[in-house]
Amino acid sequence: MKVAVLSFAHVHAATYLTLLRDREDVDLLAADPDAPPGDPDRGPALAERLGVPYAATWDEVFAQPLDAVVVTSENARHRPLVERAAAAGAHVLCEKPLATTEADARAVIDACARAGVGLMTAYPVRFGSAFAALRRAVADGSLGRLISVHGTNNGRNPARSSPWFGSRELAGGGALMDHTVHIADLLDVLLDGEQAAEVYAQANAVLDADLGLDVETAGLVTICYPGGTVAAVDCSWSHPRDHPTWGGLTLTCVGERAIVELDAFPRLLDGFDTTTARARWEPGGDDLDTAMLDAFLDTARTGRRPAPDGEAGLRSLRVVLAAYESLRTGQPVALPG
Amino acid sequence: MAELDVALIGAGGIARTHLPAWTALGARVRIYAPDGHAPGLARDFGATAVGTREEAIAGANVVDVCSPTDTHREIALAALAAGAHVLCEKPLALTTADAELIADTARSARLRLYPGHVVRFFPAYARLHELVAGGAPGRVAVARFTRTGRYPTWSPWFADPERSGGILVDQMIHDFDIARWLFGEVVRVHADQRGHLTSPAPEGAVASGTAVLTHESGVITQVVGVWAPPATPFRTTFHVAGTGGTLSHDSLASPGLRVTGSDRDAAGADGIPSGDFGQSPYALQIAEFAAAFTGRGPEPRVTAGDGVAAVRIAEAAAVSARTGRAVRLEGSPA
Repeated sequence: MKVAVLSFAHVHAATYLTLLRDREDVDLLAADPDAPPGDPDRGPALAERLGVPYAATWDEVFAQPLDAVVVTSENARHRPLVERAAAAGAHVLCEKPLATTEADARAVIDACARAGVGLMTAYPVRFGSAFAALRRAVADGSLGRLISVHGTNNGRNPARSSPWFGSRELAGGGALMDHTVHIADLLDVLLDGEQAAEVYAQANAVLDADLGLDVETAGLVTICYPGGTVAAVDCSWSHPRDHPTWGGLTLTCVGERAIVELDAFPRLLDGFDTTTARARWEPGGDDLDTAMLDAFLDTARTGRRPAPDGEAGLRSLRVVLAAYESLRTGQPVALPG
Repeated sequence: MAELDVALIGAGGIARTHLPAWTALGARVRIYAPDGHAPGLARDFGATAVGTREEAIAGANVVDVCSPTDTHREIALAALAAGAHVLCEKPLALTTADAELIADTARSARLRLYPGHVVRFFPAYARLHELVAGGAPGRVAVARFTRTGRYPTWSPWFADPERSGGILVDQMIHDFDIARWLFGEVVRVHADQRGHLTSPAPEGAVASGTAVLTHESGVITQVVGVWAPPATPFRTTFHVAGTGGTLSHDSLASPGLRVTGSDRDAAGADGIPSGDFGQSPYALQIAEFAAAFTGRGPEPRVTAGDGVAAVRIAEAAAVSARTGRAVRLEGSPA
């Protein structure tokens, strides 16, 4: 299967390149023509370091017959690449958030639908086996009705290594945009695609103020669902930059009959490393990116509808857009039903 | 007269945590409770049960109000009228107006009034305050607090919003107080509550509340409270993030002593936390208040004004949950 990775702007691009490179069933091609010339972590330098075939222009990529593409450009630059890939007949895995505006999200969904190709939004956390068990417990009623969910998705500030994450224009916002969507997508699964009814958010830019970003670096979001569940989310880029991990994601579900805690990135081993004078943190849990790519390539091969699809990406994006509106007004914002 | 002559009003779970502290200080304690539980409690702790509130308060220099929240105003005012200092369990009152009335009455009478915000005396929270005040986490951006314990079905008034204020006021006020203690005045509150929110609450009922506080300092705080299924162990957590790193705590993560497998586990979880196995936070709290009551100690770490301010935040949270709007708070605390 011919698969292209389009742009290395997103920090996840290198992970996808490595995983796809090592698959027997994938003939990989990569392109990052909009990279700053000479950037050692972008463009031909990264492709060469990873041993991945590289195309210098978009035209060169799209001149090839492509079965599937992975779009890892800046959040606001997904649309032109998805539209072009769809027109070329390639199935699309698009990095989250699907877009930075509802209009762009709708456009990429429509473009893929018109072209008859699948569109998957890259939400790897829903592919974990622990989350699958949680999902079953919610679905089979053993937790009782979900009353509230408390989610944390904290990470290092990605703008430190990829400055566009700190640009409102290119990223659509900061920590609220980057992290709320992951929790919102897990809620989307647990609540079976129920669209949120109301969102309240508060945020600030206290952390990493020295970077001079025009986006928020810490945020708290409260999401109410029409079925009665409320979700309280901490989406902050509050994970210290010299911590042994990038961050993590947890979800505490309060049901009528039990409380369930999910750690999507659990610590497998701890201890102490005298050479770095730091705590050890050996990560555990599933390889979520591999599981997500498996699912995506399977839909590309079979033509089955991917999940999470573009509509799921749009539903979680709407939560974030409402959160930004709430920041502006200082009040909860209702989503259209 | 003993130097500490205490009238303890109420004979529920919190009275049971206060009594050994008073006894340890050599206080003479008279207990009154209308529910008939005073004699048993008095027997257990070497105190005296009396038949009326007036009898308890007569001659007391301290009244310890451990009764349901809707009775705090009347009992605290009676205590102050009788010339006694007051330790009043949290929440100081159900409404800001009542809390202010109690605080103003105490001030006019030149009597001391302290609210029982005991979480300030739990070691992890006391240390957190020291560290934040000393600048250890740098400039704080965002914090979250959770508090989970079994639904307080052991006494029917907790589930009744007219009597307790519900989970937002009765339970989450602990962390509202801590957040304000750490990060300063709160200017905006949004809150929501779900689950079983009315009385009577059957065994097995569940409720939860969430609140977002915006502080004048710019810090944002999330508070989550859960009244949980019966077998849930009591647990609190916090996570504070600033420019100098993070501070976090999970009360179940690193116990000094852990006992499992006893019959007690099967009997259900504790409703009221006892703290670790060192000094009881309740005893520390009462010792600090008692030193101030007798004029021998410094001002305690919590004041009547703090009690009023905590009620103000909790009341705003309840209004927000009812109206669905964020509530702006203005004016300085009492």
